[in-house]
Amino acid sequence: MRKKWMSVSFMLFVISALVLAACGGGSGNGNGNGNSAAGGESEAGASLLDEIKSRDKLVVGVKFDTKLFGLKDPASGEVEGFDIDIAKALAKSILGDENKIELKEVTSKTRIPMLNNNEIDMIIATMTITEERREQVDFSEVYFEAGQSLLVKKGSPIQSVEDVTSGTKVLAVKGATSVDNIKEIAPDATVLEFENYQDAFSALKAGQGDVLTTDNSILYGMMAQDANYEVVGEPFTDEPYGIAMKKGETALVEAVNEGLAALKSSGEYNTIYEKWIGEAPSE
Amino acid sequence: MDFAGALSPDNLRFILEGFYVTLKVAFISIVLSFVLGCLVGTIRYAKIPILAPVLGVIVEILRNLPLLLIIFFTRFALPDIGIKLDVVTSAIVALTLFEGAIISEIVRSGLNSVNKGQIEASRSSGLGYTQTLWHIVMPQGLRRMVPPLVSQFIALLKDTSLAVVISLPELMNHSKIVIAQSYDFVIPVLMVVALLYFSVNYALSLIARRLEAKFV
Repeated sequence: MRKKWMSVSFMLFVISALVLAACGGGSGNGNGNGNSAAGGESEAGASLLDEIKSRDKLVVGVKFDTKLFGLKDPASGEVEGFDIDIAKALAKSILGDENKIELKEVTSKTRIPMLNNNEIDMIIATMTITEERREQVDFSEVYFEAGQSLLVKKGSPIQSVEDVTSGTKVLAVKGATSVDNIKEIAPDATVLEFENYQDAFSALKAGQGDVLTTDNSILYGMMAQDANYEVVGEPFTDEPYGIAMKKGETALVEAVNEGLAALKSSGEYNTIYEKWIGEAPSE
Repeated sequence: MDFAGALSPDNLRFILEGFYVTLKVAFISIVLSFVLGCLVGTIRYAKIPILAPVLGVIVEILRNLPLLLIIFFTRFALPDIGIKLDVVTSAIVALTLFEGAIISEIVRSGLNSVNKGQIEASRSSGLGYTQTLWHIVMPQGLRRMVPPLVSQFIALLKDTSLAVVISLPELMNHSKIVIAQSYDFVIPVLMVVALLYFSVNYALSLIARRLEAKFV
């Protein structure tokens, strides 16, 4: 019986050698495109900012599927948007060249793990600054004032959230906090809930409601798609977007904040804002 | 709905690029998980001391976890213990481990289905244990495994879509990006995606049916 499993072991050994050879080939391919990651082990004591400068490239986590902020163009393969232009401007202010940048796709679920794994230097991906997230990452100053807002057909009597009263039909998306927010602010209005943004926007176009409410970043995207609609009034919730960096990288946060401040004072920020959002930022 | 806009040549090419990644990741994972599954299934069938029970525990763990969790694990937990994998490799590793565990059970049950009388006959004819396994048990067992194996490969191909959570640039990821271009693109793009998944999986089913007719 001992002979039995010794000979089987030998056979399996041969097979596993083959497997290992196959695996080796596979991961070899993988590493080729993997090691362009931001990382490298950060040397003890060296700050991330020094590392970025010596690497001479800024690696930024951005969205690839968010209209206006970070959207990959299938034709050119380029990622474009407000977040991307901010990232490029920061590369220019830190490294002197807006092309010294690598963009990596992140989602709401992967962005913090990727930041903590040193795969990206910073997150510029429609990320709202919250107290909860402040415990995990460090944020820059606000770079976009996001918040819940209203979309109406051009010429609508509704010009701000005060105009949403009883008799106003408000369209919103199910399960989102935006439903609770509008019910709190305008308790008399009728709220119609839809499964997704597309359905809600179609309903607004079909005249099933007077006003569509959700985050302004999404509403601006709808506005860009159909010029007959416009975003009105100030955001009535406060969900500012910030640039997230790994905790404790004070020098990098300062460099980013300096870069943002310079963008705002030079007017370049307004140019980028108008380019993507379609109107000037409110004061 | 905007079929012409959604399925413009550029968008179609972009979707097909994603489909190529899906097929590539699925193909590599199918080959690796099949080899891994055969290896583990045979070890457990032959009840090799120490190795078999240890692998048994690992198989049970992998088989009973959601694939999504394993994908997240290979992408974001392995770096913590010093193993850095890029997106493609971590998707392949996760799929190989998970599907390999399931395939090992298919292999084990296929081998077990071979009548014990066959083994006794072979041994008493003077064949060694390995020879018996190789010439008597495996050929018969493998034939019976063909239908469940192919359906597992089809499942694997569809499971690659779960790697969308780690932003693997595969079919779902690319279709998501095309859909994000316009609210009118959702239905046309999803129809194309469904057609792509269906045609390749249906082709696999047809191949399985022919193999089945030939072998079983």
